[in-house]
Amino acid sequence: MKEEFQLSQMEQETDEMLRIRYLNKDNAVFQKTPGGFLSLTVGEEVYPRVQVARMFPFMYKEGLLSIRTADERSKEIGIVEKYEDVGAETADLLKEQLNLKYFTPVITRINHIKDEYGYAYFDVDTNHGPCKFTIQMGGNAVVHLSETRILIMDIDENRFEIPDIMELTAGERKKLDLFL
Amino acid sequence: MILKYDLTQDNLKLCGLQEGEEIYYCLPLDIDMKGDFRQNSYTIMTNRRLLILEEGALTREYLLADFEMIKSEPQISCGICYIVKDGQEILVGRFSAKHLTRYSYLHRGMQILKSGRTEHVISREYEHSCPKCGRALPGTKECPRCSGKREGLLFTFLDMMKPHKKRLAVILVLMLGATVVTLANPAIQKHLVDDVLLREEKAYGAAIACILLMFAMSVGIVIINAAKSYLCTRLGAYISEDQRAKLFNKIQGLTISFINERTPGELMNRIIRDTARVSEFVGNVFCNMFTVSILFVCVCIYMLVLNWKLAILAFAFAPLSVGISMAWRKNIRKRFHLQGAKSDKVNGNLQDVISGMAVVKSYGQERREAEHFDDTAEEFARIQRNNEVFFAIFYPMLTFAMSVGTYLVTYYGGCQTLAGDMTPGELMQYINYTSLLYTYLGWMSNMPRMLMNMVTSLERIGDVLNQEPGIYDHEDAVEHEIQGDIEFRNASFGYKSYQPVLENVNLKVKKGEMIGLVGASGTGKSTLINLIMHLYEVDDGEILVDGIDIRKIKVENYHSQIGVVLQENFLFTGTILNNIKFAKPDATIEEVIHAAKMANAHEFICKLPDGYNTYVGEKGYTLSGGERQRVAIARAMLNNPRLLILDEATASLDTESEYLIQKALGRLTEGKTTFAIAHRLSTLKDADRVVVIDGHQIAEVGTHNELMEKKGIYYGLVQAQLQTSMKAEADA
Repeated sequence: MKEEFQLSQMEQETDEMLRIRYLNKDNAVFQKTPGGFLSLTVGEEVYPRVQVARMFPFMYKEGLLSIRTADERSKEIGIVEKYEDVGAETADLLKEQLNLKYFTPVITRINHIKDEYGYAYFDVDTNHGPCKFTIQMGGNAVVHLSETRILIMDIDENRFEIPDIMELTAGERKKLDLFL
Repeated sequence: MILKYDLTQDNLKLCGLQEGEEIYYCLPLDIDMKGDFRQNSYTIMTNRRLLILEEGALTREYLLADFEMIKSEPQISCGICYIVKDGQEILVGRFSAKHLTRYSYLHRGMQILKSGRTEHVISREYEHSCPKCGRALPGTKECPRCSGKREGLLFTFLDMMKPHKKRLAVILVLMLGATVVTLANPAIQKHLVDDVLLREEKAYGAAIACILLMFAMSVGIVIINAAKSYLCTRLGAYISEDQRAKLFNKIQGLTISFINERTPGELMNRIIRDTARVSEFVGNVFCNMFTVSILFVCVCIYMLVLNWKLAILAFAFAPLSVGISMAWRKNIRKRFHLQGAKSDKVNGNLQDVISGMAVVKSYGQERREAEHFDDTAEEFARIQRNNEVFFAIFYPMLTFAMSVGTYLVTYYGGCQTLAGDMTPGELMQYINYTSLLYTYLGWMSNMPRMLMNMVTSLERIGDVLNQEPGIYDHEDAVEHEIQGDIEFRNASFGYKSYQPVLENVNLKVKKGEMIGLVGASGTGKSTLINLIMHLYEVDDGEILVDGIDIRKIKVENYHSQIGVVLQENFLFTGTILNNIKFAKPDATIEEVIHAAKMANAHEFICKLPDGYNTYVGEKGYTLSGGERQRVAIARAMLNNPRLLILDEATASLDTESEYLIQKALGRLTEGKTTFAIAHRLSTLKDADRVVVIDGHQIAEVGTHNELMEKKGIYYGLVQAQLQTSMKAEADA
């Protein structure tokens, strides 16, 4: 019989989901795999590859990480509350995986914005280098995370962040005016 | 979508292709492991190897035979690509969201190459931006600017005009009339001033004649313009009507996948907004385009001939005037955009609170919501106020600035008149021409934008009209009365070429048999049914209906003999009667009542205040799920189909409804070949055979008892459901 139809197992899994399991250096061993991913051993459980996800990506970038299985079901194995709990070496491994997973360049300078026939063409500098991208006007391409923090989604669904629009120059803000 | 980017000669050299080796796929790795943007880095797959080029160097190389598979995994706004080699996952590269879809094809491409086949995987998805000019593509296959179609589209536009040649000819005559009258009016004014008013003898008669002529011309131009606008608007309406009808017919003929790939909103936009834009263009722009262009050229020539020095002075200010007008328009657009955005925010906020009123009230958050709403409303009011003040103050200033050229012409012309180089009449005529010039300039500076809007809409319309319908009558298609034998022979199918949903399916169904389809979600049950309904065609193999290839039966003829009852049945806006008669519009009232009775629907329909005339659908009477279901069964019953499809027809119903529907379905399926999908296995107890689909294939076939004895997947499913229901009963 297939695993997913085992009722007792399903109940056990549901109960497990209710528990919050914090992972720390005493109960969890993270290791980098030769292929560049992350493996985890928690007691007797061995996971050849795990995924690391931020639970609050816009609020807490450094901590409250959900460690999940890498298969389609992506089940949570445990939570890393803060980097100190796992030690500096493991923290670096986790940061490396997070860096692979999340890609939201921060816009540091707006060189030029041109709007033409319903699309806006951005030419910007980011913390990952210069970049040009296009957004659709009139849609939900610009999301206000707060009064001064915005997230911009381009037509390919790449995301760009401006953490504080007040830190842009007046000229740059003027270029952005249409979207604020 | 491009799956093979071009490589430079240097990069090609780095690949070191051997004889007989060919690059099949080449996709950018546009960000590095740290997330920095980079150029000149690619994942390359040849028929033998996988190569990773990073910033001008070959960094990794694997033989296709040396690893099991290549996979891409979407991350947050980016993706990673890795191979599985000896069971170990090895990260090979990273790319931005722009290339996510492209990389999803790589796996399929590798499978084909590994199996020794040589066909290329082709992506039917469109690029989001033009690979040549970088401009965003408005949901079209080709860039309206780069494809050279821009001019072609103008021809398309003229093609649309063809059936309306006579109307067009009348409009052209009117345009010429408008041109002549507009140009002649200042000339008559000049004549009036110079030759009549300034002459020593009092020629009252001539003066009155001039004034009457001018009056007649003014009235004439009003009539001509009104007639022209009326005819152009009508022409626009005719053209958009033609286009709408064409689009609607085309969309109905396209495959469901074309429809599903686009949101209903997008398709509606194409039928309604894009055609409206074309019509607007004809109505507002086209009718003035020729008049303005001819007048503009004539005015320029006239001015040069009359006084070339003054003409140059007037022209010198033209760029300034165009600049001011464009900057002004940009500013206005920005202001309106902002006002619109804020208004949307207020609306959104209102809609949110009103639809969530119960939640707001039950948590006692009325005050907080009210404060929040006040803030947004205030912000909107502030912007609206600013805009109105801006208009009140700047508009008169702008009008003045735009006409600065006219004042200068008046000044210098006045000086020349005083010096006797120019007559007062000529000056007046000149001033008139200068203001005409500036008016036309303002209008013409907006032309490219209006033209581009129209061209984009034409392109989007053409994109649908030029689609090849996926399901159509093949040349040798015949009409066939279905008996009910269905056979799948090595049938394979996938909605996307790289993702097979059904592989190598073989199944023989006899006439009148009821087949229960079982399997986990997403295994392909509905796909199998879609293939039987001939909404899609198989990629490989064939489906035979009474021994005839399904592709050789006329589509409409085939569809008219199928009955469908789904879990969520769509009722059209209209009466219950019309909904039941949908499949057979010429059915008699007696037939309708008979069908409704067979479907156990007659009783509840008669209890409704308006009986069979009850209005249902949007804004109409709301039927319960079970009632809708029975109307749908009556609809299927009326048609007396030879082939029946029941897709979760009894899911999510209460026990009484289910009993009534089971009974109705029992009558409906009698003697007809039936395919029924059900999650609740108890509803399949009447099925002659059960087909279990798993892993893209038919995993088990047999009667309920046979499959239970086999203790395979079906047995597991039945046990699991039994345990769950027993547990639920025990808990109760």
